[in-house]
Amino acid sequence: MNLLAFNLPIVVLLPFIAAAAAAYSAKFNRLAAAWVSGIATIISLALLIPAAAAIFGGETIIQNWNWLHQAGLQFAFRLDGLAMLFSFLILIIGLLVIIYARWYLAAKDSMGRFFAYLMMFMGSMLGIVMSENLIQLVVFWELTSITSFLLISYWQHRKDAREGARMALAITGAGGLALLGGVILLGHIVGSYQLSDVLASGDLIRNHELYLPTLILILLAVFTKSAQFPFHFWLPHAMAAPTPVSAYLHSATMVKAGIFLLARFFPALSGTDAWMWLVGGAGMATLLIGAYTALFKHDLKGLLAYSTISHLGLITLLFGFSSQFATVAAIFHIINHATFKASLFMVAGIIDHETGSRDMRKLNGLLKYMPHTAALAIIASLAMAGVPLLNGFLSKEMFFAEAVSFSQGNSFAWIIPVLVTIAGVFSVAYSLRFVHDVFFNGEPIDLPRTPHEPPRFMKIPVDLLVIVCLAVGILPMYTVAPILDIAVTASLQSTPPEYSLALWHGVNLPLIMSAIALGVGALVYFRRKPLIANYERHEHINAKQYFQKILAAVIRFSEWLSARFDKGSLQNAAAWTLFATLVISAYGFISFNSPLLGDRTLLPMEPVSMIAAAVIIVASILTLAWHRQRLQSLIVIGVVGLITSLVFVKFSAPDLALTQLSVEVVTIVLLLLALYFLPQTTPKETGMSRLGRDALLAIASGIGVFLFTMMVLSRDFSSISEYFLANSVPGGGGTNVVNVILVDFRGFDTLGEIIVLALAGLGIYAMLQGLHINPHSRFRINADAHPVILQTFSRLMLPLMLLVAVFIFLRGHNLPGGGFIAGLIASVALIVVYLSNGIEWTQSRLRVDMHMVIGFGLLIATTTGLAAMLVGYPFLTSAFSHIHWPVVGDFELASAIAFDLGVFLVVVGSSVISLVQLGQLSHKPENPEGV
Amino acid sequence: MNFVIPSFAPAIPEITLLILASLILVADTFWSKRFQNATYYATQASLLVAGYLVLSSFSVEQVFTFNDSFVRDSFADVLKLFTVAITLGIFLFAREYLVQHRFMSGEFFVLGLFGVLGMFVMISANNFITMYLGLEIMSLAMYAMIALRKYDGVAVEAGMKYFVLGALATGMLLYGFSMIYGATGTITFPEMKAVIASGEADGIVLAFGVVFVVIGLAFKMGAVPFHMWMPDVYHGSPTAVTLYLGTAPKLAGFAMVYRLLYEAMPGLVGDWQQLIIIISILSMVIGSIVAIAQDNLKRMLAYSGIGHVGFLLLGVIAATDDGFSAAMFFIIVYAITGVAGFGMITALSRTGFEFDRVADFKGLNAKNPWLALMMLIVMFSMAGIPPFVGFWAKIVVIEEVVKAGFTWIAVIAVITAVISAFYYLRVVKSMYFDKSEIQGPVEIISPALHWGVSFVAILLLALGLLPGSLIDLCYLSI
Repeated sequence: MNLLAFNLPIVVLLPFIAAAAAAYSAKFNRLAAAWVSGIATIISLALLIPAAAAIFGGETIIQNWNWLHQAGLQFAFRLDGLAMLFSFLILIIGLLVIIYARWYLAAKDSMGRFFAYLMMFMGSMLGIVMSENLIQLVVFWELTSITSFLLISYWQHRKDAREGARMALAITGAGGLALLGGVILLGHIVGSYQLSDVLASGDLIRNHELYLPTLILILLAVFTKSAQFPFHFWLPHAMAAPTPVSAYLHSATMVKAGIFLLARFFPALSGTDAWMWLVGGAGMATLLIGAYTALFKHDLKGLLAYSTISHLGLITLLFGFSSQFATVAAIFHIINHATFKASLFMVAGIIDHETGSRDMRKLNGLLKYMPHTAALAIIASLAMAGVPLLNGFLSKEMFFAEAVSFSQGNSFAWIIPVLVTIAGVFSVAYSLRFVHDVFFNGEPIDLPRTPHEPPRFMKIPVDLLVIVCLAVGILPMYTVAPILDIAVTASLQSTPPEYSLALWHGVNLPLIMSAIALGVGALVYFRRKPLIANYERHEHINAKQYFQKILAAVIRFSEWLSARFDKGSLQNAAAWTLFATLVISAYGFISFNSPLLGDRTLLPMEPVSMIAAAVIIVASILTLAWHRQRLQSLIVIGVVGLITSLVFVKFSAPDLALTQLSVEVVTIVLLLLALYFLPQTTPKETGMSRLGRDALLAIASGIGVFLFTMMVLSRDFSSISEYFLANSVPGGGGTNVVNVILVDFRGFDTLGEIIVLALAGLGIYAMLQGLHINPHSRFRINADAHPVILQTFSRLMLPLMLLVAVFIFLRGHNLPGGGFIAGLIASVALIVVYLSNGIEWTQSRLRVDMHMVIGFGLLIATTTGLAAMLVGYPFLTSAFSHIHWPVVGDFELASAIAFDLGVFLVVVGSSVISLVQLGQLSHKPENPEGV
Repeated sequence: MNFVIPSFAPAIPEITLLILASLILVADTFWSKRFQNATYYATQASLLVAGYLVLSSFSVEQVFTFNDSFVRDSFADVLKLFTVAITLGIFLFAREYLVQHRFMSGEFFVLGLFGVLGMFVMISANNFITMYLGLEIMSLAMYAMIALRKYDGVAVEAGMKYFVLGALATGMLLYGFSMIYGATGTITFPEMKAVIASGEADGIVLAFGVVFVVIGLAFKMGAVPFHMWMPDVYHGSPTAVTLYLGTAPKLAGFAMVYRLLYEAMPGLVGDWQQLIIIISILSMVIGSIVAIAQDNLKRMLAYSGIGHVGFLLLGVIAATDDGFSAAMFFIIVYAITGVAGFGMITALSRTGFEFDRVADFKGLNAKNPWLALMMLIVMFSMAGIPPFVGFWAKIVVIEEVVKAGFTWIAVIAVITAVISAFYYLRVVKSMYFDKSEIQGPVEIISPALHWGVSFVAILLLALGLLPGSLIDLCYLSI
């Protein structure tokens, strides 16, 4: 079995497994979590070693598995020089941090939670640097945002920790989504999400029209993650995290993820003016702001935070130069910064741990209390300042050289070496402050604890890092050169230029710049008092406040929008819906250039239709005019319905006319019942503006509907009626085409319709059942609610009316009628009885539960269809035969009649159930529920 | 006989569901007094039967029946299976809620079952009438469910608003149907597609028909500017009903969009694409911004739903097979996430306490870390943060819209995703960092629901880690 075939995913996944194990094992032993994490890290490292030979030989290992092949995604890992360098940084510094944290955390801190978060973070970071697939990279990228959020907020009881964590998550999480956008665009341009393909298509990407948006989205991710100006402000607030976390996140990992992307995408994206200005500009601004601000921070970790920002700016600026030499310098500085910054954070943690304070105004003269720590801190700070014989010097020298060579091409670019020298000056000054203020400068001032050396194991990680600083600084060729070489090759995707890691290049401009930086820096430090005083007078520009202000503004805007559009008013919502419809269709009218009216000649007008139209118009206007008098407006609405049924008669549709008529009667009766519970008049509209708005909407809708109608009516269209007329008797055995369509041709639709009707009845029942409403107080009720004449007459009429219903039902298949109309007529009959005799009287005699009527109706209709299937025909196939009845005459019996019976029952059941519920509203329920 | 005898087999699940629902409706009047839970179990059993019938006759072939008014294909079957699975979950959560809030009644489940029937019909509709019937069966059931709690003024008002606005929108949809029918002379989708492709139909009538159909669809899906009902209805309804409204019908709504726009009118893509772009962008923007101001979690999730519809429409804008597949994946994920989110509120509420304000979730981590973790998963998934499945849902639709050449829309989508992440994280912040305002423990009373919530939330993570098969399923069924 070849371990090299799948070691990369294991390296990435191992920390996640270790996270779960750490969380679990901490239940048994406080320190077990640390052991588990440490061992997992060592195993991960060991798994990488077998691959090292190949990588140093210049190979790139790619291991992939199909993941979402429909979406073109693969589960793919890549190990090349750059990934190797970062993996080593992540794992080795991670291991040191684990050792350190085991001694740093107090007894009351939960070890399991800490190490679980830390290992998850480590796994996510490894995932970023080893991803071959870009979408997979985004996934790990967002995971680092989440896990760093958890780490920063580890001390949840502290407000600054919570706020810092939230800000970090908001900024970096948002950046991650921008990265997602950028990566999708990149995949779109290249046609693949595999890094190998992307890196090979640099020219294609740079010349693509989407280059700029892609670049900006990816850079947003880089700048937010690596705390570049103007997104740098989250980093200092993230210092609320426990110091091991800061040492890990802000030296080698989290903030380097952005830089890693710059190095990774360098061959694909760099080399354009846009890259130079955006990357270089942000880098330069960050370099200066970070270096300047760091000097004035009294908090040890604050100083380191701004120093980190400044160094990240330096690396970004180097990438912005877009030259191969600059890339060498950038990657070299990544290594150097990781080592000295991690050790400095650990020193800060030791000091905090042993003295109880991080305030440099109190911490003085610690040299004699903790000489070992002091020695380490001094060496690391000097590396940070760029003093010769330390690693910081080498990369800084290269940086200066790049700044100088970049400035040659342009007459204004001399400003660049000047600016970077100024940054160098401040860098020296704050490094000096870190050393001098803390370890010299008199005696400590009322510290919470008496300072002393920390436990040995807290110092060992720092020892190792400082040794690296020295070794690289003195013997670069024998230490860092090989890995730097392969990392640069991987980043550039080509052979790196000839560069020299020698300590001495002779007296040249960069050396002079270094000297100036050292000299002036020392001067600035010793004149710091007035500078600090000056800074503090002007320390009102606080990015955190802006962040909070923007947040508050967004919330205010959202609330404003919500108040404007989300009023919870039905009228408002309806008006908006109509308005939006009008706007969209008006857009259609305007943008369409074919003629609105067709070329069909319109039929001539004739008096009867004119009169009908006039009546409808008058009735509609009257409804509007009398709409506050509910009874009157209801009556005129009835007129509209009746005229509509006459229109059906005119166009030879007696069935529709009959249906319309009976529906009209039933609805008006139900509405009249509802009126009982409402005041006699509707409230007056509030305000003229609202009235005006509604009038405008109504008029515009009317015009729109008129235009649409004209548009359709003035065009020819073919009718489907011939087909049904021809097939009605042979196919369905009936001469009433409408009924045959309903119960036969489109029987399935009718089945659906009666379900809808049944549901409506049930819905009304569900809503009104058991509900009690007092009739409106101003309503005068006649003492004689059920006049005797009406009672007697309606009881006499009932059988007659039901007979009519039966008649209509039976003739339905051949003549106008049918189950639906018959059902409505039967309902009217029952309603009349209910109205004239009262609910109690009727219900005591009509003891059928209307639920069952509806249910049986549906069942009969469905089983008719199924019966057809039983005899071997498909669902709802109609069979018919003729029988001769004594009185009625020749009668055609179709199985569709059974179906029609189902329709009939559902109609009766639904109408009566609604009516009874409405009628019962004023009766007290027996056991009111839910009050 | 000279007309084709329709084949009955493809609609067996629907017909069985109808018969079972009718039987339960009748039986409920007998047994509801004696056995409180009989209707509940009968409903769940019916769903299982329907699901089994769909699954056992699953086929990738496309079959038409009932005079081409009904279609059965893998698209329909997949959506129906998810509808059944999601509804099973909904009823599970709903029962305890109904008991806790003292309005346990058989009607809820019967109406819910009829609603599912409506969804099935919508999903399988192959002409205007079938589509309309399905829509009405579903909508009427929902109107009634919202107002089921009669003495709750807010709920009744919500039902009323939904009904009136819904009627308005249905009117527009029918208006659009009638215009398209007038122009093409057919109501069947494949024929319509052929007539439109032949260029014989009148362009302007068709164009206006499409406008009204899109308006109707936008309303039913809750897309801006026809979204007004969503916040009020989600907020006003009893949470168990919100859980129903916010999840399963979305699948049917998507099926409606797919059948109408893509199966019937692909030839009019120039007309509807513009409209969908406007609607999609407005939905994403309004949904993400206005949600920030909401204190009520149900209302917030309503706006989040509006924003999600905007994202769903990205796949529709692409107007390709892959685009609709992506949208299908998106909507399935959204429905599952919705069950988790609303289910959490449903499960946590108890007698006299709705547990639906963001403030109610304050300090949940201190009181009940496991539930806080589950809610965190739900919120992260909705925000589209990996490795949860919501991330993949967003990715596939954005990818499709980019492929179709609308990069600028994708950029807007990403920006709104960032904005919307803010309010999901606000809930997480409340749970983890704020101090609880609730006396006593916060827990889910019924152990079944506790595991139910946990199962759905962990499913979001599991699907996020292994989204392949679900994505494949969606890409293969269109």
